[in-house]
Amino acid sequence: MNEASQYIYWVSHDIALGYMIAWYLWLISLAEGTHIVAHMSWLYYRTEDYRPLEKVGSFQPFIILALVPLFLVIDLGHPERFYTMFYHWHWTSPVAYGVYIITLCMITYALHAYYLFRPELLHRAGQPGGLQGLYRLLTFGATETGTLREIRDRQDGRERFWAGASLFFSFMGLIYLGILLSSFKGRVMWSSSVMVFIFFAFGACSGSAFLILLTHLKNALVHTGAKALAEQRRYLTEFGILLKYALVAQAGVFFIYFVLLQYTGIGGRLASQVFFSGPRAFQFWFFQVAIGLVLPFVLMLYRNMRENVLVSCLAAIATLIGTLFGCVNIFIGGQMLPMTHFNWEILEPEPGKMAFGIALMVVMFAVFLVTYKVLPYENIES
Amino acid sequence: MSNKGEALDRRDFFRKLGVHVTAAGAGVLLMQSGRESQAATAVKKYGMVIDTNRCIGCHGCTIACKSENNVPDGFFRSWVKIGEKGKYPNVSTHFLPRLCNNCEDAPCLNLCPTGATYRTQEDGVVHVNREVCVGCRICVVACPYGARFPNPITHTADKCDFCYHRITQGLQPACVDACTGRARIFGDLNDPDSEVSRYMQSHSTQRLRADLDTRPKVHYVHADENLMGPDYHRLLARRNS
Repeated sequence: MNEASQYIYWVSHDIALGYMIAWYLWLISLAEGTHIVAHMSWLYYRTEDYRPLEKVGSFQPFIILALVPLFLVIDLGHPERFYTMFYHWHWTSPVAYGVYIITLCMITYALHAYYLFRPELLHRAGQPGGLQGLYRLLTFGATETGTLREIRDRQDGRERFWAGASLFFSFMGLIYLGILLSSFKGRVMWSSSVMVFIFFAFGACSGSAFLILLTHLKNALVHTGAKALAEQRRYLTEFGILLKYALVAQAGVFFIYFVLLQYTGIGGRLASQVFFSGPRAFQFWFFQVAIGLVLPFVLMLYRNMRENVLVSCLAAIATLIGTLFGCVNIFIGGQMLPMTHFNWEILEPEPGKMAFGIALMVVMFAVFLVTYKVLPYENIES
Repeated sequence: MSNKGEALDRRDFFRKLGVHVTAAGAGVLLMQSGRESQAATAVKKYGMVIDTNRCIGCHGCTIACKSENNVPDGFFRSWVKIGEKGKYPNVSTHFLPRLCNNCEDAPCLNLCPTGATYRTQEDGVVHVNREVCVGCRICVVACPYGARFPNPITHTADKCDFCYHRITQGLQPACVDACTGRARIFGDLNDPDSEVSRYMQSHSTQRLRADLDTRPKVHYVHADENLMGPDYHRLLARRNS
């Protein structure tokens, strides 16, 4: 290209999809990652003591997925037409599949969580107490004989079926997120098969971090027996190891991604510049790398640090911040590359939508806290 | 039920599952090939050739388009990108009129989740159904040419459709009629006797971002390379300096 050329007239195109959609992608990867980590770990441990963690890993993602479509709806030009995406289905569009995948994820998480909670709910429904009516409603008025262990054994097949189904849709959800971005063939930063692995890495990191954070929060709010507490802390310490290796995997995936970008021509090199020294450099180096990767890795490096509740919560929060900025950097950064001219595209501030997103996150957190107080997360041995 | 019977049932189940998955896969492949051929076998294929040697950069097309299609302020269905090259006294000015390419394999159409973006089978023009569009702006991000925009009045995606209301009445698109230098030639690319086809046969033409294989139906004659795409070199050089 001739560097002496001067542009006299051109048209700029603002960034069309803003923070709400980046937030939406992050929350979906978080919910699905949490469920995958929780359920895959159950396959490893297979103990009764692990059930409270599996409840956290199944029900909290359900709450997230139940509320996360609002991030998408508020961003639409016609929010009132949102439901038309279910029946005006266009088979070549990843988003058209995503609407169903996320819905099926939500339904299977709810059913999995229902069977996880059901034995304790049945027990509580038969006990006197203020919330007895609620528990009876949640179990559809059913009564079962036998001990809780016998009830769990009887419903084991259904519980495992929905666990397997929800695990399948969780993987599909993460694959969907990757394919969604890689399907934009004009967007050099996104049009890469590595996108799927990036979202898997985000899911593994944020999932294990979220599980650590929420289980510690649950233990702070709900009375947990000393033996069960010690056992759960042992699991969470081991999740710290998982988090450590997930962070290494995320760093590895990003390394491969940047190497590939270098071989994708000038567009790829410019895409990596967006992260290294371009408009997303501070968010990348400070939030995504320093806070989101290095800090939690250092905090999770040694056993005594992983065993410390405060340190592991700090590492979890840092990881969540890192993955959030990772999603934002890729999503917003990918749209900053110009399509027709020679300047970075600009993102217009959206204070109203951001306020709505923050309010929704507060609601989500409040629902988490209420469910900790209301639902029987801990095992009850009758 | 005996173990043997149970094993057979399971085998039957997997056999049926295999048949269904194969049938679904074959169906998807057929639909995919149908989508490809549908665009290629349309009776008409409306397209445009823009001879940039004839363009004088008057923006008449931009104004005509805005008034014809009621395009909101700050947004464009059609515009002209202008650049200068060289150093005084050897300076040349180049123009690149821009509009939606109505691609044969349009990324905006493929990624639209509701099918609000569609192609008319009889002439291959890509449209937006404003009654169905949810305003998700996926198509705006998907278009590699920056030809789409979210219309702030209708809250739906908007783009050039070759002034479909005019061309179906036998008229030319507004930008073609308004072009001072007659740089724009519009017509049926499938008709070998049309002016646009004859112009293409007698001139060497270029298409924007041919590497993406979207098969744009807007062709350029003698377009300047600097103007044809984003100038990543300049952006990268600026960052490195």
